[in-house]
Amino acid sequence: MNAFHLTEDQQDCLQELINVAMGQASDQLARYLDTFVYLKVPSIESISTSSLTQTLDDKESAVAIVSQGFFGYEGIRGEALLVYQDEDSGRIADLLGYEPDELSHDEQLIDISSILTTTFLNVFASQIDNQMSYNAPKLLPSAQNSLSEHLQQMTFSWDFALKVNINYQVTDYSFNCNMILLIPETAIMNIKKVIDRILEDF
Amino acid sequence: MSNTNESAPSTTSLPSDVVSSITNQVSDQLNTGVLVVDRDFKVVMWNRFIQVHANKSSEEVVGRLIFDVFPELPQRWFERKLSGVLQLNTPSFSSWEQRHHLFELPHTRPITTDSEFMAQNCTFLPLDVAGEHSYICILIEDVTDVCHYQGQLQKTLKELALISRIDGLTQIFNRRHWQESLEQEYAKARRHNKKLALIMLDLDHFKKLNDNYGHQGGDKALIDVTQIVKSVLRIEDVFGRYGGEEFAIILPETDIQGALDLAQRVCNTVAKTPVLFQEHIIQLSVSIGVSQLSDNDTSYEKLIANADAALYQAKANGRNQVFNALDLSDESLSA
Repeated sequence: MNAFHLTEDQQDCLQELINVAMGQASDQLARYLDTFVYLKVPSIESISTSSLTQTLDDKESAVAIVSQGFFGYEGIRGEALLVYQDEDSGRIADLLGYEPDELSHDEQLIDISSILTTTFLNVFASQIDNQMSYNAPKLLPSAQNSLSEHLQQMTFSWDFALKVNINYQVTDYSFNCNMILLIPETAIMNIKKVIDRILEDF
Repeated sequence: MSNTNESAPSTTSLPSDVVSSITNQVSDQLNTGVLVVDRDFKVVMWNRFIQVHANKSSEEVVGRLIFDVFPELPQRWFERKLSGVLQLNTPSFSSWEQRHHLFELPHTRPITTDSEFMAQNCTFLPLDVAGEHSYICILIEDVTDVCHYQGQLQKTLKELALISRIDGLTQIFNRRHWQESLEQEYAKARRHNKKLALIMLDLDHFKKLNDNYGHQGGDKALIDVTQIVKSVLRIEDVFGRYGGEEFAIILPETDIQGALDLAQRVCNTVAKTPVLFQEHIIQLSVSIGVSQLSDNDTSYEKLIANADAALYQAKANGRNQVFNALDLSDESLSA
């Protein structure tokens, strides 16, 4: 236990905020994509850098990872990683409503990633009276272990991070991906302040 | 409700016309294109950057369809992209790495880069006007520099990768890369149950050559022999300099008879092709050992050892000849 861990109340509150955001996001996505989007109940955990690298190394079969930074008021910031397996991404152009020859496979991955990340985080931000801005999404180089390599190069230096893992599924298009939100140390303290304020209002 | 996301408090004391004058001037000084369209894709606003680069007047642009002003835009893709921005109220992006540019605009380095149009990172942002998301702001960043240097970097990396595989003197594969290739070919042959043969060859009397003509003469002999051998090889053969005056050739999907035939051809061709060095005509020859992958071999190193032992035997038998590793006695094989 350290200052970066969430108390049980804080954890419950964050879980609730995320659940509500997921519901709204999945509704918006379903209307835009014109198909049912299934989001699995997320896992939230405080993790150390080393254990994160380990968890993510297990996802060896990941063929593509798209990274997108986000930042809002009150020092809420972090990075979203969208992790794809090989078999998950065959029909993204179709899902997005494009002809396959209108955009490359890389662009399809980047596009759907950005849509999933920004839709969810926009709704989440409005839950906490905030507003998010985003970096342009980047496809990480597809070398093996690129994820842990990428994490080692990440600009914010941190030992602890808050990790939120949400799984997206669109069964009609055999689409599946994992969204991993990583919120570094200083931002955890800021998010704890926001959660405490919400808890006080109850 | 927190008060942090209300608009910047420092400007609230200024009259709104001053604020808008400042905003307009800043917008016109930006080195980023700003273009605003409505939900029907009509241009409602643009800044100086895009105006100057597109070299059009406001009268030609404002109020007109963006596809009429910039006919190069991929219309269907663009409409779908922007409809997502409005419907989801989220930003969207287009990077030069996937699409070099959307708008055909000139850039500021036409002389020192080879790019015809400005490489662009574009951002599409939903604008909230009176609670309605009915406008989209398009930001266009000039990333021609980034694109140019990334291209240079890729080119350099490719060259470096090539250099690290090539022997400087003979310009064929160096030992390290050749051995990696053998390791791969060995694995492939094992997996698909295919044949694999190996030729090791050594220039005869190389030390004498160096003594008679100097090291430059020796180098010339190595370079010329490389070319002579290369001329009889097939496209799939992997030819490398193993070390000093020793060379090695991987022959994928080749049985011992095919390998012996090729080895004999190499041997004959070298022997009948004299090499010129300064005013000297040098007669060269090579000794060759040939081996093939057998079911008992547990590693690719065994293939090298067998060919090497056969090569030794070819030397012992009087040089300028080929020896088959299968004809080696058991003692010389285990030696």
